[in-house]
Amino acid sequence: MRVFFGMRDIDILEPRSVEEAVAALAQHGDEAKVIAGGTALVLMLKNQLVSPAYLISLGRVPGLDGVTYGAGVGLRLGALASIRQAETSAVVRQHCPTLAETFGKVANVRVRHAATVGGNVSEADYASDPPCVLVALRARAVALSPRGRREIPLTEFFRDFYETALAADELLTEIVVPEQPAGARQSYLKFVTRSSEDRPCIGACAWIDLDEAGVCRELRVTLGAVAGKPQEFAEAEALAAGQRLGPDLIGQVAQYYAEHIDPLSDARGSAWYRRRMAAVFVRRAIEQALGAGGEV
Amino acid sequence: MKKTVRLRVNGLEQEVSVATHHTLLDVLRREFKLHSVREGCGIGMCGACTVLVEGKPVSSCLLLAALAAEKDVVTVEALGRQGLHPIQQAFVDHTAFQCSFCTPGFLLTTKALLEENPAPTPEQVKAYLAGNLCRCGSYMKIMDAVLDAARRLQPANANAT
Ligand SMILES: Cc1cc2nc3c(=O)[nH]c(=O)nc-3n(C[C@H](O)[C@H](O)[C@H](O)COP(=O)(O)OP(=O)(O)OC[C@H]3O[C@@H](n4cnc5c(N)ncnc54)[C@H](O)[C@@H]3O)c2cc1C
Repeated sequence: MRVFFGMRDIDILEPRSVEEAVAALAQHGDEAKVIAGGTALVLMLKNQLVSPAYLISLGRVPGLDGVTYGAGVGLRLGALASIRQAETSAVVRQHCPTLAETFGKVANVRVRHAATVGGNVSEADYASDPPCVLVALRARAVALSPRGRREIPLTEFFRDFYETALAADELLTEIVVPEQPAGARQSYLKFVTRSSEDRPCIGACAWIDLDEAGVCRELRVTLGAVAGKPQEFAEAEALAAGQRLGPDLIGQVAQYYAEHIDPLSDARGSAWYRRRMAAVFVRRAIEQALGAGGEV
Repeated sequence: MKKTVRLRVNGLEQEVSVATHHTLLDVLRREFKLHSVREGCGIGMCGACTVLVEGKPVSSCLLLAALAAEKDVVTVEALGRQGLHPIQQAFVDHTAFQCSFCTPGFLLTTKALLEENPAPTPEQVKAYLAGNLCRCGSYMKIMDAVLDAARRLQPANANAT
């Protein structure tokens, strides 16, 4: 792992502002890679999956590591906030405990200290935890380039394995998690098959908005780690609208997901196994969000 | 490509010329001869290369040395300067190791844990140390040592250590 055979010379640039970082990215384009916490990128460099001439480090860029809450806006997670910061943030815990818990389920405490929220989302690894939950929460990514600022809904941000909607010259500056409806509740279940701090075999997020009578206004279910990007099926979600979520209906939704995903096979589980586990974890995620089910 | 950077390791500042692709792990071992920092997996999973950066445990195998410039880096060599640190003493007293390859990583992670949370429950210890692997399987003794170290470090017990 430590032999950098044939790797090209890398120059490290350390911009001191967001503007400088965007300018450096625009100037070097395909020759450059942004590096934040480096926990994913250094591995890619070691394995020669990327070989940039320039690394644009965000380590000295101020102002991108805030985690704040604004009424009517929701939670704003700066791209450079560490995953640990997001996990332990009082405002994230207060306004979206499931999201704080999800950040707490990423990797191990060392990776969570070094890795950033923006790096996790930009890496777009199929077996990451936060993307699944951020999609269910209808979060948006804020991207900045010389052409200006734009917001990308996370439902459109993840394209495929390690592929996002970010253009080569766009910097991710923050993730905005909109204010959730008063009746909304969520859960995220991370199913690991090797060790507690491994990436997931399956990640299942359920988001449920209930009215005062306990009838479901809207259900969202996102499944992570089964395909190139988080999977969500509107047809299955629609089954729940206007209904009480009882065992039969929950089972129907879970079965729909199990049948309609096109699961991959990797060291954490075969496609066959993932399909079966998808049925189990969709069901449990919905039950847990309802407060009906216990811990896994 | 080489880059001259100012690293602050165990309180000492030093200018070193590092290759831009070298990790902090490489530089701590080769330039600083700090051999408590060990390469196990090389992919951030095992914890053998743990160092504290600004007081927080990180995998030095995943951090480019050039990007650690001007940050406070601590290795286990800084712990035992005036005799064993109470955490080290607790590990010795509980024989919380066999081959000891993983021990420096466990000690530093424990230090960070106890600074954040001076009286952790066994569950909290497990969660914080889950990413440090001990292939000899000394986990039970490590748990005892960490809980004991927490007790020893409580201000009320300072004299007893
Ligand atoms: C041992 C280990 C276990 C792990 N387990 C899990 C797990 O259980 N669950 C999970 O979710 N993840 C897991 N991960 C992945 C981890 O979460 C990511 O490596 C991390 O979040 C990436 O963040 P970073 O800041 O280190 O990104 P970097 O490595 O710096 O960058 C990652 C990618 O994003 C790009 N990038 C970074 N920041 C920006 C930005 N602001 N704008 C545009 N592009 C950007 C980089 O160019 C690069 O392509 C694990 C990683 C390791 C090493």
